[in-house]
Amino acid sequence: MILPEAGHGRFSVERGHSTMTKGMRKYFKKKIFWFVITLIAAVILNFILPRLMPGDPVNAIVGKNISPNATQEQIQEQIAFYKHQFGLDKDLFGQFWDFIKNVFNGTFGVSYSQYPRTVADIIGGGIWWTIALQLPAILVGWLLGNLLGALAAYKRSFYDKALMPVSLFFSAIPAFGAAVILLVVFAVNLKWAPVNGAYTTGMIPSFSWNFISSVIAHYQLPFWSIVIISIGGQAVGMRSMSIYELNADYVKYARFLGIKDKKIVRYVFRNAMLPQVTGLAMSIGAMVGGALVAETIFSYPGLGMSMYNAITTSDYPVISATTLIITIMVLLASFLLDIIYAFIDPRVKAAQFD
Amino acid sequence: MKKLLSLVLALALVLSMVAIAGAEAAQDLPRGETIYFGGQQWGPINGWNPISPNMNNAMANAANARGSRTVMFETLYMYNMLDGKLYPLLADGDIVWNDDLTEATIAIKAAAKWSDGTPVTADDVAATWEVAQKTQNSVYTGNAPYIESITAEDGKVVIKSKLTEDGKPVNPLMIKDFVSGTYIVQKAWAEKLAADNGDDAAKMLADPAADVPYSGPYGPYFANDQMVAFIRNDNYWGQDASMWGKLPVPKYVGHPIYADNDAGLVMFKDGQIDVNQNFVANIQKLWEDEGLPIATYMDQAPYGVCATMPTAFFNMEVPVLQVPEIRKAIAMAVDYDQIIENAMTNQSPTFAQVPRSVMNPTDGEQALYDHDAVKDLQWVGKDVEGAKKLLDEAGIVDTDGDGYREYNGEKITLNSCCPNGWTDWQAAMEIVAAAGQAIGLDITTNYPEWSIYQTVFTKGSQDEYDIFMYSPPGATPSAPWARVRALLSSEFIGVENNWSGNWGHYKNDRADEIIAAIPLTTDEAELKKLYTEATKIYLEEVPSFSLMYRPDVFHAVNESVWTGFPEKDDGNNIPPMDCTDGYGIAALYNIEPVK
Repeated sequence: MILPEAGHGRFSVERGHSTMTKGMRKYFKKKIFWFVITLIAAVILNFILPRLMPGDPVNAIVGKNISPNATQEQIQEQIAFYKHQFGLDKDLFGQFWDFIKNVFNGTFGVSYSQYPRTVADIIGGGIWWTIALQLPAILVGWLLGNLLGALAAYKRSFYDKALMPVSLFFSAIPAFGAAVILLVVFAVNLKWAPVNGAYTTGMIPSFSWNFISSVIAHYQLPFWSIVIISIGGQAVGMRSMSIYELNADYVKYARFLGIKDKKIVRYVFRNAMLPQVTGLAMSIGAMVGGALVAETIFSYPGLGMSMYNAITTSDYPVISATTLIITIMVLLASFLLDIIYAFIDPRVKAAQFD
Repeated sequence: MKKLLSLVLALALVLSMVAIAGAEAAQDLPRGETIYFGGQQWGPINGWNPISPNMNNAMANAANARGSRTVMFETLYMYNMLDGKLYPLLADGDIVWNDDLTEATIAIKAAAKWSDGTPVTADDVAATWEVAQKTQNSVYTGNAPYIESITAEDGKVVIKSKLTEDGKPVNPLMIKDFVSGTYIVQKAWAEKLAADNGDDAAKMLADPAADVPYSGPYGPYFANDQMVAFIRNDNYWGQDASMWGKLPVPKYVGHPIYADNDAGLVMFKDGQIDVNQNFVANIQKLWEDEGLPIATYMDQAPYGVCATMPTAFFNMEVPVLQVPEIRKAIAMAVDYDQIIENAMTNQSPTFAQVPRSVMNPTDGEQALYDHDAVKDLQWVGKDVEGAKKLLDEAGIVDTDGDGYREYNGEKITLNSCCPNGWTDWQAAMEIVAAAGQAIGLDITTNYPEWSIYQTVFTKGSQDEYDIFMYSPPGATPSAPWARVRALLSSEFIGVENNWSGNWGHYKNDRADEIIAAIPLTTDEAELKKLYTEATKIYLEEVPSFSLMYRPDVFHAVNESVWTGFPEKDDGNNIPPMDCTDGYGIAALYNIEPVK
């Protein structure tokens, strides 16, 4: 170690600069290390947990496919056939090896309940619908929620009194509740929106205005059912954060200095925003799982539906693949968050010097 | 920031639509020319292969004895549960049996053609059996115990029965199931399938067979994860005078794919589904209270034709349940009217209307046993006092005053089980448990998930559930024999992965003799005697008991686009089988557009 020499301004700046990148590198290395460890643990759990569920998926398939007149030998032959097709005749390590191989060759293996379809085929069909539904809904819910929350905190009086109970009310509605209410009110009773599906029954997907307008019409209810409940939660969170920041010492000091209100407010909301960014990243990460309720109620052909069906039919490969997607997305989101924080949050930046 | 966000939003929407749209060229289905079905197709299809059990293509590939769905592929005969008869489809005339029932000869209609224009021949039928044998599919595994060979001789199909040691056919009834439950495939296609897949059975069964020739009135039109659709083949052979004499009315057949029964019901009420195969509680309210143009086969309860009986099986490996008085007492105490009212919302006749036996409520089966001979044995239920008396007389009493009876000094505790989420069955099991409590037996309910339930109740050793539900076969050409067998035959005891019957593992030698004798009996009086005796054993011994009657398929129609669906006493003799199953497909030739 070289001791800093006092009075050598130029050197000290350089030293400070190099320590900072070193600290950052250390920070990133640490984060990447834990990311990899968590990922490995998650992959193992994704493989094992579905297989711990009681119930024999092969028996159900054979029960569906075989005639009640089949002989015992024929039944056992069928069971052996499917076990072999699914690799269930191997021990758990062999199955795990297959699972890893299938993850890397991109097929994720063969679905049990929809044999001979591959899991990749099932997921590929649903994932675009899920993303197209969830991503905009999460973003819009987040933006509107934060705007309303900030407004309530800043304007107080009327907005706060009216907005907060309403937000609390909406954030307390369970996801299925909001979806069912929208369905009954706007589709069944008022007939403003179609009842379910992603486009009109009997339509063949094409790049035509007819099809696109049908998709947009079918999009509304599931979209708003997600937006409404997330607005409430975000608004409540943003309001408390903003109120906390508005009363912080730096605000009082800035006011004392005579800095314009508009400018102060910008600082305040940028600070209040930080925890909200975490929330956004997490909900984007957990998108696939969050899609389950809205997709089921509106029969939206996304991944949530596939996951739900897989769970009810002990379809291990599909369960493992969908949970793996969720895991990786959540991990990635939190990893990216850590990186972003290192740049945008002065407190995290400061921590690197410790 | 805002601009970026809106850009991302718009991009996500457009990208996803492009991904979805793909390069499909087909036209949208015109509503007025399309008939939509609901409740049959769950999840997207895997292909069109008629010999594979794994295509998940319900509208094309649903071959079973109770009435194969002949929209795309066809069987030799169509079963009609209303009169129990077989109607020729690809076959020309009835089955011709030889005297000792060891051989069945079937002619093929001269007009019958494949979608590629080639005629359907007896060779195709022989090839169907051959490819079944090669792939060991369910057609083969289900029929191999009964069928020795299927060959083409002089342009006709000859089916030879397997023989018992004394030279008798094993079971001629099963051949009736075969001819109404097996899709005939084209010989040339079967050969090509084998060649393309190197004779590998697993590959042949996994082949989606997108180019398969079919003989039925509709062929593939479009399929994705929202819908599967068929288009009418306007060259369909069945418009020949020797068959229907015309084409089926709708130009398209569609089935939307949705999440669950609730979503299906919403679409059915909305008029997006014309023919619905889901159980709808209190269906009459849809027209009585909501004023919707919805109808069932009958406008009064039970609204449909019930063909099966969801049944509670007693686990005969449990010592307490080996006592006939305990079994009978439980069955006597159950309030069946409450089950039928609550679980089935009266879409089942009561046991006062159709007294319990091994028969379903159809006229054909009811005529097969002597009602007077078993009259005294047919309990109607809710007889708590009678059940208590029966137990008291058998010495099964409460000795320690805790309110529950003991057997061999131990309190009698039993569970009653059915799959979770099967709400009508759960309601039934609650009522069974309540009946047990009322007569001093501690019966509690247990509802495992289906994925667990199906593993446990089909095991070779029945060791977890005491009273549990499943349904014996409904209406098929081999019924009611098939049902008697599923209720009483000891051949299923100890069988692993048993999906066939006698899940409670009951054994009765006389019952086994009757089950062996019925298929070889052609004398009607003798047959009636055997069925009456089987009913007697069933009601005296109570190895299981029916909880309600239930249709094989539910059949409700929304008449906002199509009308003229089958109704009771309309003189057409078309069974309410969703306009597609067995002889039920005749309905597609009778309906007409509303406007």
